[in-house]
Amino acid sequence: MREKFKAPTRLKSKIYSALIARQSRDGSLLDLGATKGSGRKLCVFEELVQIAPVGESVKSLNFCHVCHARVLGERIENAPVFWPGCPYAQFQNR
Amino acid sequence: MEPMMSRNYATSRLFPALLKPRDVSANLFPMDGLHATPEGFCCNSGLKPSSAASIEQRSGETGIDDLALVAAVLRKDRKATAEFVNLYTDAVYSFIRRRLNPRQDLVDDLVQDVFIAAWESLGGFRGSSSLRSWLLGIARHKIEDYYRRLLQEAGPLDAALAEILPDTRLGVEAVVDRERMERHARKILNEMPQHYSVALLWRYWERRSAREVAQATGRTEKAVERLLARAREQFRGRWKNA
Repeated sequence: MREKFKAPTRLKSKIYSALIARQSRDGSLLDLGATKGSGRKLCVFEELVQIAPVGESVKSLNFCHVCHARVLGERIENAPVFWPGCPYAQFQNR
Repeated sequence: MEPMMSRNYATSRLFPALLKPRDVSANLFPMDGLHATPEGFCCNSGLKPSSAASIEQRSGETGIDDLALVAAVLRKDRKATAEFVNLYTDAVYSFIRRRLNPRQDLVDDLVQDVFIAAWESLGGFRGSSSLRSWLLGIARHKIEDYYRRLLQEAGPLDAALAEILPDTRLGVEAVVDRERMERHARKILNEMPQHYSVALLWRYWERRSAREVAQATGRTEKAVERLLARAREQFRGRWKNA
């Protein structure tokens, strides 16, 4: 079903950030291994964390909060974010 | 080339209920396949069969399983949350923007509110309707809340003005380009005081009765009818002078 209006990509980015912030506030996020195991693609930074020798609790942190892609995505329409697996890149209308 | 039509006729086509205040059967705006129910809004029963079918078809085409997606979001799977946002923001945004036309600056905030509210009650989603319909139901409630707040804040009414309603008989002159006239009507609504435009939108777009508006805003039914009468009068005046 085609929508009459497309939501701004900045709005999608803000909504995603707000939801993830709420989810992480209520407890840790699903760890990256389980996320990957469910068939969803991780971004390059998440891949690095996922294979790094760190505790499971670290793998459940909200990495997007400190990522430049979030900053760009929330402030610039169709931000130049091209990382595969990055939600902020996924939101861009290209 | 299509002959041009007078604005009066356009008014009668687009806003027949303004010309016949008692006539509630006017089909003024598309409802996006949704309708009001005693419990609230928006479920599959409110969708036209073709719309519901197209949602199912779309779900089938893209392999989207609403329940699976919801379960993944509830597990706090960040990628599922991204998918959830990416899939449904356009629908919610479009739905709200069309209804909040005079106040497009509020659309982003309201869309965000919808998703936050959805996250908070996502555990209650049972899949009896599509996720899209469920989200649009929340959106509809948010818009209703917005209308309600505005009308509750509206100033006192001048009853004397409500009595003055000009002759509403208008003649047919030609065929009208509906979209162009609708844009014109929206422009007028944008220029009107906000509580008038909201009252007209709520009454004639959302098709809520004066009694329902009165109950929602804590006003008397008579007060709402007077507000609507003034709003109609102003709309008519602006249409004639435009």
